[in-house]
Amino acid sequence: MVDAFSAVLQRPNFLTVVIIFLWGFYIMVTRYNLIKKLIGMYLVQTSVIFFLVSISAKKEATVPVLMSTTDPVQAAIYANPLPHVLTLTAIVVGVATLGVGLALCAAIYRKYGSLDEEEILEKLE
Amino acid sequence: MSYQLPAILFLLPLFAAISMPVVCLKNRHWSHPISVAILMAMVLVSILNLNNVVHHGEIRYMFSGWTAPLGIEWVADGLASVILVLLSGLGLLGVVFTGPTSPKALGGRIVHYYTLILLLLSALTGIVFARDLFNIFVFLEVAAIASYALIGIAGGRALISAFRYLILGTIGASLYLLGVSYLYAVTGTLNMTDMVDRLPFLLSSKALVGGLLFMFIGLGIKMALVPFHSWMPDAYADAPESISPILASLVTKVALLAWVRIVYWVLTASDVLLQGLIVFYDIPILRLIAVLGALAAVIGAALALAQRNLKMMFAYGGVSHIGIILIGIGQGNQTGFVGGVFYLLNDAVMQAALFYIAGVAICHYGVRTIDDLARVGKHAPWLTGCLIIVALGMIGLPPTGGFFGKWNIILGAIEAGNYFSVAAVVFSTLLTLAYFVKLFEGIFRQSSTRLDDHFGEIPLSFKLTLGITSATILLLGLFSSPIVELLLNHAMPPHL
Repeated sequence: MVDAFSAVLQRPNFLTVVIIFLWGFYIMVTRYNLIKKLIGMYLVQTSVIFFLVSISAKKEATVPVLMSTTDPVQAAIYANPLPHVLTLTAIVVGVATLGVGLALCAAIYRKYGSLDEEEILEKLE
Repeated sequence: MSYQLPAILFLLPLFAAISMPVVCLKNRHWSHPISVAILMAMVLVSILNLNNVVHHGEIRYMFSGWTAPLGIEWVADGLASVILVLLSGLGLLGVVFTGPTSPKALGGRIVHYYTLILLLLSALTGIVFARDLFNIFVFLEVAAIASYALIGIAGGRALISAFRYLILGTIGASLYLLGVSYLYAVTGTLNMTDMVDRLPFLLSSKALVGGLLFMFIGLGIKMALVPFHSWMPDAYADAPESISPILASLVTKVALLAWVRIVYWVLTASDVLLQGLIVFYDIPILRLIAVLGALAAVIGAALALAQRNLKMMFAYGGVSHIGIILIGIGQGNQTGFVGGVFYLLNDAVMQAALFYIAGVAICHYGVRTIDDLARVGKHAPWLTGCLIIVALGMIGLPPTGGFFGKWNIILGAIEAGNYFSVAAVVFSTLLTLAYFVKLFEGIFRQSSTRLDDHFGEIPLSFKLTLGITSATILLLGLFSSPIVELLLNHAMPPHL
C-alpha cells in the first residue's frame, strides 16, 4: 500500500493528469449550467494534452534540428518532435469542438432564454 | 494513376467542401447539383479503386513520399475499398434525398449545410483508410464536429440533443486520445503496421491493456455501444430528416470499423495475440467484444420495442444491430468476421432506408408516430412497400442480405462454441420481429376509417432513394455468395 502511494507520488505529473481528468469529468456530470459543462469538457481535453506533453518532456534536450550533418546523430540530445505535433493537433481539435459547443450554447440561449439544463428541460415538456 | 486513387477519394469531397462557400457565394442553388456531381464522381472513383484493389492487390499510400514509420500511411485494402463504395453510394443517395427535405429556414446558409455534409464524408473516408492511430483520432473528431453542427441545424429540441452528443462525443474522443497516448508511450510508434512488431514483447504491460480499454470505451461511445448509447437515439431522432439517414448509416459503423482495424490489424496481427491478450482477470479481448455485442443486440432491440416515435424506434434498432455486428467480429474466426462485415454493409443500407422512410413519412405525410401511420398506410404505396422490404431485412428473412449476414454470424459463433452469442442473435431477432409487428399492426389496423386528405405523388427523389435502398437490400441477399467470396478473398485480416 505504502509502495503504491510512494510510486504515485514520485510521478506528480501523472497524478496531475488523473486529478484534472476526474475534476473535469465531475464538473460535466454534476453541473446543470451548459457553459460549466463545456468548461469541464475542456478540462478533460486539457488533461489528455498534459499527459502527452509530460511523457515527452526531456531534460536538457534541444529542438530537433541537426547540429551538424557530418557528426553521427546523437538522439539523446534532441527532443522528440512527434508528441509535440500531436499536442498541437489535439489543441486545434479541442478548440474547434469548444467553438461548436459555444455556438450551440448561444443558439440554445436565444431559443430558450436560459442556459440551465433543468429550466430548458422544463420548457421542453 | 491508380496509386493515387485513395488520396483522390479523400480530396474530392474535401476540396468541394472548402470551395463550396466561394463557388456558391452568388448563387446558392448551385450547391445541391455541385454536391451531387462531386459524390457521383466519388462513387465512380471508389468503384475504380475497388476494381483496382481486387485485381492488383492493396495500395499502401505514403503521404508526400515519407515511408511508413516516419510518415503517415494509408492503406486501401479490400475491406476499406468495399466500405468506401458503400460510403460514397450512401452519401450520394443522402444528398439526393436532401434536395426536397432540407430545412427551409436555412436560406443562404444552405451552402454551409452541403459543405458540412461533404466534410463529414471526407472525414469518414479518412477513418476508413488511415493506418495511423492518431490520424484516426483527428478524422473521428472532424466527422464528429460536422455531425454536431448538422444535427444542431434543425433548431429547437435538436440543439439540446446536439449539445449532449457533443459532450459525450468529446469524452469519447478524449478517452480514445488518452488510449492512443498510452500505446504511444509503451511502443513509441503510432503506425499500426509498425506497432504489430513491437506488441508481442509487451503482453504483460498494464499500460497496453489500460490504453486499449480507454480506446475501446472511447470508440464505444462513438459507435453507440449499449452502456454508452444514450446520445444516439435523441440525436438521430431530432436531426433534420435529410441528415439522419447519412448519420445513422455511416458514422457509427465507421467508428466500429476503426475498432475492427485496431483489434484485427494491430492486436491480433501477430499470431500470439489472437486469443491471448487478457484484459480483465481472465477475459480475452475478443470474448469481451462478443459479450458486449450480445448485450447491445438484446437491450437495443428491447428498447426499440418500447418506442412509439418512428425515428426513435429505428435509432434503437441501429443500436441493436451494432451489437449483432460486434458479435460476429468477436468470434475470432473467418466465418464470424465475414458475417460481421457483411452484416455491417447490410445494416448501413437498412438504416439509411429506415430513416428515408421516416423522412418521407415526416416531410410528405406529416407522420411522426406509429399511431399516425395508420392514417396514411393505404395511401402511401412506396412507403409501405419499402417498409416491408426493409422489415424483412431487419428481421433477417431469406431473400434479403440481413439473413445471410446473421446466418454467417451464427455459424461463426457455433464454430467458436459460443452458444451464448447464438442465443443473443436469435433473441434479438425475435425482438426485432416484435417491433416490426407492432409497426405493421399500426399500418394495417382496420379501425382507421377516417377520411383522408389527398397527399399526392411523392417527389422523384424520394422514389429514387426508397427504391434504390430497397433494391440494394434485395440485391445484397441475391448476390450474397459472390460478395462473401470477395470479402473472404480480399478483406480478411492477417492471420485469421
